[in-house]
Amino acid sequence: MLSPKERLEKVLSKENTDRPPCICPGGMMNMVILDIMEEIGVKFPEAHMDGQMMADLATAVYEKRCFENYGVPFCMTVEAESLGAKVDMGTDIYEPHVVEYAIESVKDWDEILKFQSEARRMSATIEAIRLLKEKNSEVPIVGNITGPISTASSVMEPVVFYKDLRKNNAKAHEFMGFVTDRLIDFANKQIEAGADVIAISDPSGTGEILGPKLFEEFAVEYINRITDQVKKQNRGTIVHICGQMKNVYREVNKIRSDVLSFDSIVGIGEAKKNLADRLIMGNVSTYALEFGEPSKIEALTLKCVGDGSDIISPACGLGMKSPIGNVRAMLGSLEKGI
Amino acid sequence: MSNKKEELLKRLSEGVVEMEEDDVIETSREYLDAGYPAFDGIMDGLVDGMNRASQLYEEEEYFVTDILLCSDAMYEGLNILRPHLPGSETEKVKYKGVIGVVEGDTHDIGKNLVKIMLETAGFEMFDLGRDVPLVDFVKKAKEVDASFVCMSTLMTTTMGGMEKVIEMLKEEGIRDDVKVIIGGGPISKKFADTIGADGYSYNAVEAVKLIKSLLKIA
Repeated sequence: MLSPKERLEKVLSKENTDRPPCICPGGMMNMVILDIMEEIGVKFPEAHMDGQMMADLATAVYEKRCFENYGVPFCMTVEAESLGAKVDMGTDIYEPHVVEYAIESVKDWDEILKFQSEARRMSATIEAIRLLKEKNSEVPIVGNITGPISTASSVMEPVVFYKDLRKNNAKAHEFMGFVTDRLIDFANKQIEAGADVIAISDPSGTGEILGPKLFEEFAVEYINRITDQVKKQNRGTIVHICGQMKNVYREVNKIRSDVLSFDSIVGIGEAKKNLADRLIMGNVSTYALEFGEPSKIEALTLKCVGDGSDIISPACGLGMKSPIGNVRAMLGSLEKGI
Repeated sequence: MSNKKEELLKRLSEGVVEMEEDDVIETSREYLDAGYPAFDGIMDGLVDGMNRASQLYEEEEYFVTDILLCSDAMYEGLNILRPHLPGSETEKVKYKGVIGVVEGDTHDIGKNLVKIMLETAGFEMFDLGRDVPLVDFVKKAKEVDASFVCMSTLMTTTMGGMEKVIEMLKEEGIRDDVKVIIGGGPISKKFADTIGADGYSYNAVEAVKLIKSLLKIA
């Protein structure tokens, strides 16, 4: 029997395995649900700020047989907060979200340097990874980075940011370079603490918003700076992009990650056809996971496998009210055999 | 129509499609100075340009960032031409709509796009912004006597809020007077039907068609 870590490693190095792994990376692709929080008595929003609680929740997700990995943190605001954005920590059903921006235009990006870096939650994340590393060496630890476009557009008003990519192109590149360096630093610290895989989710850097040209110029370029750094340290990389791919398949294929992940709008079969040489992760509908029945989840999971998904995972972050029975049905159907 | 007027209208339209704010500003002034009616400048110049941009968006020649820049150019022109509309035009009854992103979610690119398209189509929009307390949708709809309410979210966690707004509209006794349309990443036609919304739109251009058909003004 392969351990979860061995199975994931084999997939990442394109070796054959008994079946696809079932993971939920964390970060934007949050893996924690209300049922689990209640069962172990650790709740959001405190867990977003505390390494021990973060590690406990991630552990529970594995031990309750939901997914075959640990993954922290559970939101996509840690980086933006460290760059001066104000974050509302949300509730046990709402995710943390940015409520106040740090700058008004890419032209002011260097004003961020004046902010006292709010690195408390970065430290909590690193601490959680360290604690998880001490736990169970058979479980892969996924560390998470919010993608460069998503981080940049959480530090300032997204509408202005998107326009600035063209209107103030040179400054936009400076800003993106700065943000990306910070993200690389965070990724390095996660690796140092014990992360086996770094997942980068860039939901705001979609082809539909940017179009192929800006997608390549900004999303691909800066994501690759991170994946290249992670690769140098022999860790796996997963990159998740939201939205339709049909206009940007050629550009997406230039992302130098081990694995590409898409939300449920992209069919695995279609992705496999367009990205023949790539490992594809995904993408059981999170809507179905929250509102469907276990039998439906099993069917969706097996469809993903049949269509060629290399790693089974939810298509997006889990809705906090998703019933644990539904979440377990993914891994359950894989274990029953295909 | 004089050649000059036609040429200026073309330039206004072109300026919007080409996202050239400065050209639109300059042309709008020139157009007014020449004494042509503001209404035509808006409809046959700026709005025409925005409609062409929407067409390019539908054809996937243009993307969200393009539309945002086109709309900036259109609004610059509107700021100049609108004050010169004759009273009869400004007072003309318009359908009013309330729009916002439901509580718990701060993603509003899609919402902004829908607002732009609806304004281009001539609706008067009241934008509540993002992370909007549910009761505000109902309050605003009552206050402005809205014909429709548009809600969006990108997160499954906040979808339930839309249903609550519909319930509140019922409690206030105005559900029958207000069409409710919803959209956003995790939203589907099926979800819209389940919670009793009047319609679901996949994108901003479709949202305009949807509202028009619901209000029977297509």
